[in-house]
Amino acid sequence: MIIFIIALLLLLAIIGTPLFAVLGAGGLIASHSADLNPSILIIELYRLASQPNLIAIPLFTFAGVTLASGDGTKRLIKLFNALLGWMPGGLAIVTIVSCSVFTAFTGASGVTIIALGALLYPMLEHAHYRQRFCLGLLTTSGSLGLLFPPSMAILLYGIVSGVSIDELFLSGMLPGILLLIMLSIFSVYSAPKLQAATQEFSWQRLFITLRESIWDIMLPVLIFLGIFGGFVTISEVAALTATYVLFVETVISKKIKLLKDLPHILIDTTTLVGSILIILGVAMGLTNLLIDSQLPMKLLAVVEQHIDSQLQFLLLLNLFLLIVGAMMDIFSAIVVVVPLIIPLALRYNVDPVHLGIIFLANLEIGYMTPPVGINLFIASQRFKQPILKLFHSTFPFLMIMLIWLLLITYIPFLTTWWQ
Amino acid sequence: MLSPLLSLAFKIKHGLIFIEKIVAASSLLLLLLLAIIQIIARNFFDTGFSEMAVISRHLILFIIFMGAALVSEQNRHIKIDILTAFLSPQQQEKLIRPLLLLSALVSAIFAWYAGVFWLDEWHYAPINERWSVYLALILPIGFFILALHLFLLTITNFEHELVAIDKSIDKSQPSCSDIR
Repeated sequence: MIIFIIALLLLLAIIGTPLFAVLGAGGLIASHSADLNPSILIIELYRLASQPNLIAIPLFTFAGVTLASGDGTKRLIKLFNALLGWMPGGLAIVTIVSCSVFTAFTGASGVTIIALGALLYPMLEHAHYRQRFCLGLLTTSGSLGLLFPPSMAILLYGIVSGVSIDELFLSGMLPGILLLIMLSIFSVYSAPKLQAATQEFSWQRLFITLRESIWDIMLPVLIFLGIFGGFVTISEVAALTATYVLFVETVISKKIKLLKDLPHILIDTTTLVGSILIILGVAMGLTNLLIDSQLPMKLLAVVEQHIDSQLQFLLLLNLFLLIVGAMMDIFSAIVVVVPLIIPLALRYNVDPVHLGIIFLANLEIGYMTPPVGINLFIASQRFKQPILKLFHSTFPFLMIMLIWLLLITYIPFLTTWWQ
Repeated sequence: MLSPLLSLAFKIKHGLIFIEKIVAASSLLLLLLLAIIQIIARNFFDTGFSEMAVISRHLILFIIFMGAALVSEQNRHIKIDILTAFLSPQQQEKLIRPLLLLSALVSAIFAWYAGVFWLDEWHYAPINERWSVYLALILPIGFFILALHLFLLTITNFEHELVAIDKSIDKSQPSCSDIR
């Protein structure tokens, strides 16, 4: 009977039932099977709301949506172009850096490909980058930056797993930078073959763009100082960031009109946050019921029969998470999978912070893994190209990211150097 | 022409969307304001307001429920619709309403149990903390609004699709994009 119900829920999920409804139904059935009052699901939801760091999610999202609605991204692209555009593959590096900064703020909700793709794709084509390279680069760039502050994926992972968010942000820095470097090296290496045009370096241009974007540059400084300086809590950094971005876009750049645009920005933020946190809300009860029913322990017993070492476990974990990442959205994957794999990872002595970074790295790659990586579909729509062409275009980037994944999985020092 | 029942469903839904938007936007703005006030109070006046923290916690719930209801309207709930890609547009169309109805049913059951939970909370809360229990009314009301919105969508379907099918739709009826 239980197997039938699980199969039915899985079927409902894959035919397109909203995930919150599937997990909610699962929670109701699980509480009924355990002879518990389903009100415990509501208690868990209420308990979730009392987590102090939860406030950071809507506030950082608000900052991201405001940034996307304003002119900040254009100014940053101009600055990075003045700074790096002279190098071979310079514009590609500009793309990688700009997209990762933007994604860190907006979450990998596809908005990077839609918003920055429109700006960067013509620039890359104009600079004679081959179409296949442009498509691959922009599709890949849609999920870069997930390991950088103030990534919503890290915030959510911290809330679900109970791992310190500050430590996760700190641990994600080096792997995140490493990936940018690896992709940049590939771009520099590819540039001569692509005969990509570069511009001459100009101090004057750099100075002008620096002056234009000085307020935007201060934003990451504010966030880094806030999170790692220990002066304020994560939620307070989020509130300050949201206020700062709103101030810059309304008062300094005047791109956003308070009365005309702010209501839309507020509503866009709530829909983005609502779609993610409603899943977390209904899933909290279900995952707790699963843990109470010793499911992770039973899972562990099965895994222990076949897996002896940490090395084997991490390899299996990577394969499993790549499949999960290719099929599930990153936020729902965090909510559903994290509570189940944490006990397994602890059994094989995987550091919880290291596990968090491996988890998010896999899902970052999952965004562009065929056949159902969501970035492939978004890019296909945005650039009006067939999916197969995008598979082909992203392949070299996917290989680089898989090498990166192996590096951060098997060299824990990259994430735990600060411990 | 739309039947009177369908027309009524549209009117209720548009009214609901209007309310959801107002509550969602003002909750987020208030959350930001309260957070800033707390920072100023703590850092400049060495004080804090515990009531504000309680209000902020509940505002999160307001944002979640109103955001989730609005997302339903945009058909942007997170899904793992792997199989959908292999179905024809006609088959996909046939699935929409039953799945919306199922989601509405799950939300309605949650609304019921949230009501049970809220009554318990209200019953056992000390008098001086009753005010925060009133804020927790968002739990049953939020799930009810979500269920109602999904149920109305089951009747009306997503409007852009309806417009594509029936060009003769009443032009005096505001569309969702107009409201947005």
